[in-house]
Amino acid sequence: MNPAAGSSAPMQQRIHAANPEPPARLKVEQVSYAYAATDRSAPEFTLGPVSFQAQPREIVAILGPNASGKSTLLRLLAGLVKPLSGRVEIDGAEASGLHLRTRAQRIALVQQESELLFRLRVWEYVLQGRYPYGRRLRFESPEDCLLAANALSQVAADPLRDRWMHQLSGGEKQRVILARALAQQPALLLLDEPTQHLDIGGKVELLRRLRRLADDNGHSVIVVTHELNLAAEFSDRILLLHGGKCLRVGSPAEVYEPEILETVFGAPLEVEMRPNGRPRAILRGNY
Amino acid sequence: MRPLTPRRILATCGLLAAVLFVVVVISLRTGAYPISVREIVLTLFQGARGRKDEVPPEFWLVVFGLRLPRIALGILVGAALSVAGAGFQALLRNPLADPYVLGVSSGAALGAIVSLVAAPHVVGAIQLAAFAGAAATIMAVYFLGRRGGQLDSATLLLAGIVAASFLSAIIIFLITTLNTQDLRGMAYWLMGDLSSPAPTTNISQWLLFLFSVLAVAAGVMYATSSDLNLILTGEEEARHLGVNVRRVKVVVYVAASALTGLAVSVSGAIGYVGLLVPHVMRMMFGTDYRLLIPASAVGGAIAIVAADTLARTVVAPTELPVGAMTALAGAPVFIYLMRRSVR
Amino acid sequence: MYLRPYAGSAARAVMALALGAGAAAGPGAFAARQAPPLAAATRSVTDEIGRRVTVPSDVKRIVSLAPNLTEILYALGLDSKLVGDTDYCDVPAAAKTKPHVGSVLAPNLEAIVALHPDVILAVANSGNRKETVEALDHTGLAVYAIDPRTVRDVLASIEHIAALAGAQQQGEELAARLQARLDAVQARVKELPPAHALFVVWDEPLITIGHNTLIADALRWAGAESVIVSQQSWPQISFEEVLRLQPDYLIFANDHSDSGSTPLADLRARPAWKELRAVELGRVVTVSEEITRPSPGLIDVIEELARAVHPEAFGEAEEKRASCAR
Repeated sequence: MNPAAGSSAPMQQRIHAANPEPPARLKVEQVSYAYAATDRSAPEFTLGPVSFQAQPREIVAILGPNASGKSTLLRLLAGLVKPLSGRVEIDGAEASGLHLRTRAQRIALVQQESELLFRLRVWEYVLQGRYPYGRRLRFESPEDCLLAANALSQVAADPLRDRWMHQLSGGEKQRVILARALAQQPALLLLDEPTQHLDIGGKVELLRRLRRLADDNGHSVIVVTHELNLAAEFSDRILLLHGGKCLRVGSPAEVYEPEILETVFGAPLEVEMRPNGRPRAILRGNY
Repeated sequence: MRPLTPRRILATCGLLAAVLFVVVVISLRTGAYPISVREIVLTLFQGARGRKDEVPPEFWLVVFGLRLPRIALGILVGAALSVAGAGFQALLRNPLADPYVLGVSSGAALGAIVSLVAAPHVVGAIQLAAFAGAAATIMAVYFLGRRGGQLDSATLLLAGIVAASFLSAIIIFLITTLNTQDLRGMAYWLMGDLSSPAPTTNISQWLLFLFSVLAVAAGVMYATSSDLNLILTGEEEARHLGVNVRRVKVVVYVAASALTGLAVSVSGAIGYVGLLVPHVMRMMFGTDYRLLIPASAVGGAIAIVAADTLARTVVAPTELPVGAMTALAGAPVFIYLMRRSVR
Repeated sequence: MYLRPYAGSAARAVMALALGAGAAAGPGAFAARQAPPLAAATRSVTDEIGRRVTVPSDVKRIVSLAPNLTEILYALGLDSKLVGDTDYCDVPAAAKTKPHVGSVLAPNLEAIVALHPDVILAVANSGNRKETVEALDHTGLAVYAIDPRTVRDVLASIEHIAALAGAQQQGEELAARLQARLDAVQARVKELPPAHALFVVWDEPLITIGHNTLIADALRWAGAESVIVSQQSWPQISFEEVLRLQPDYLIFANDHSDSGSTPLADLRARPAWKELRAVELGRVVTVSEEITRPSPGLIDVIEELARAVHPEAFGEAEEKRASCAR
């Protein structure tokens, strides 16, 4: 664990993964899934089989065009649905078999947020991330407040603490949602298309932050995205999905071959290696 | 960052309870029978000591037979309706939800009418039949309101509205075609009236029974208040945080419907309270359901006892039904809330 | 919450007040204002809806919960025993000066209790609500309910009330006098074909009376017959039905409205109603609203009505049209 470098508040501590040993690990073995419009008709969409692993401090990007099964795979990883075959294991336990609150202590899923019904302050929202710990009807302890405060500062959202949720900008709200996920002290952090509504500066800032969080807190981070170059730049491994099939798993340099990328994304692409060993995809020629 | 603590809940409810106490005192003093405050206090005092024989029988009758039961009923109904309203607003994800939107009151009214026609002189038949009607409606709407095996807010709302309309149509049909026995009593009942006599002569036992049901149903709903706070930020998000959304929805539905059925069987469909009290409490104390539920309970009690006291005095000696008073006072409050737009 | 510090002191103040009030109470502190002692002798009677009621043998204080009951008491000469009636008791005018206990549908229980009545009179079936009677039962007060469905029932009720109040003889005499008047009317109209009439309770929507109502019975005593025969009490009918049946007479109950024109003139101005033969011929009768009341005044109305729809039987000219209330 890195010492508390660069922190200004004296009491700040890192958010450790709730289970420091054994090392948080996601194991996906031959997972497949299918769904159909009704119970009786033939499957409209099949996903898998998919296999891969994620270590602590790793960022894995699930990459693919729209309707390639990325979100379905994410839901499988989150344990929200049970795979038709294969296993999703988190720290050795099958994700979909975990008790709801235990699962929420290990896995945090960050999605686009629904509309809030009533007014809520930012700190109240982030505190809700502590729900999986303790009894169902619970009152927050000082430790909960400390963890929530730390989560907010880790996403640089300290000044937003007392603001109303509905008054935040898109980027601010996303940081707060991320803070709530961090307050869960998860081993596994899942994000579904987090860069969707951000401008390029926001996208880069988010991925940099994820990198820092993975390093500092030891999370395994899985990001679903279709941003080719950001994925290449920030992730340790990439899983390439197309039409429900897992075409490649590996480091960005291994996965980014021009022919495969062209097939998957349906655009004329070239791959260029950058000095830091990370590939970059560029549109080729005149279009 | 000041999270909610049990101490703050108790302090807020204590404050509200003090207001309720004042309202109850004023209500105890209000009435056509000439009895002074001192005599009321003496009667209460002797009653608490169990010395019924030392109190003039008419004083005992007025205090323990007429005023207190009515006040107790008002507290019960106010608490039940407000907690039910808060629950439905969360369950249906709709700030305009009130306890009657799912048709419970129409079912109860139908039960009451049927009992008036079928068994007009059986004591207690109305309350029992009303509760049976409410229960049947609750079950029917539950099954209609499911989608994909679990309760869905939008579907539930639609099912409830359809049920309410259908039942109201049956009620209108019955009222116009049946040989009207004594259906004018229904007009009072439909508007909401606290003066309906108890079904038994042992009033304190009956009240104890009613308050037990209130305590159980409200308690069950309170146990889900942390869950509700999360569900209000989004059902999917709540699921990800470990809330058993499916089960919570069923529990809240049953508890809130039971509370509504209880209130309606006893006093008809008193309007506006279940809708407005939670909103006012939210404005004053925030949207955290761990505080909102008990605050709404006491706030609702204050509202109904105050409304009933007014209903008994504005056109004395005639008594208005309390539902007329809540409607009169409720509409301006509703407009005011709308303009402040709670968001 | 910033009010939290005050909650404690408020609670303490309230408790002190309550304790202080309790402390001021000494034993036997209820002063001389005791309720009058219960009457010594009581008897048990059964009222007209089958309830057993225990009343004092000597009834001195009566509360009436409906205007017709007040009327009956005055007609029996028992108004000195009437200690309270409703806001709507207006016949005779002296009844308005009695202490009021509220409306017919929602009388004030405390006001009734405060009057210490020996018996409370109520009317079932289109009179007082059964909830009111039940609530009064709970207070331990005696409630006697009448339930007259026909004109003869009204006479019987008068006798029952008289017997209840210790005025049996007056009751029998009054009933006999009223019966004699009814017989006199019947003698004149019995041989004649009944006048086909429509009793209009309300014009829009058009509501009339059912076959088994008191008003229908009163019509029959007056030699009239409703053209609508229905088992419902207040059937709603379409105007076309009336147009088809073309009743000889239209009967309205006076609602004491102070409009300048007569009902006939109003009807002649209305587009559909003026097509009715009864309106053309001017056979629109307005009777007093006593026709809705089970009281001695009902007999007055029957006589009025008989005169209006069978003028020839009473030696009057055919041209007599609308007869207004007293």
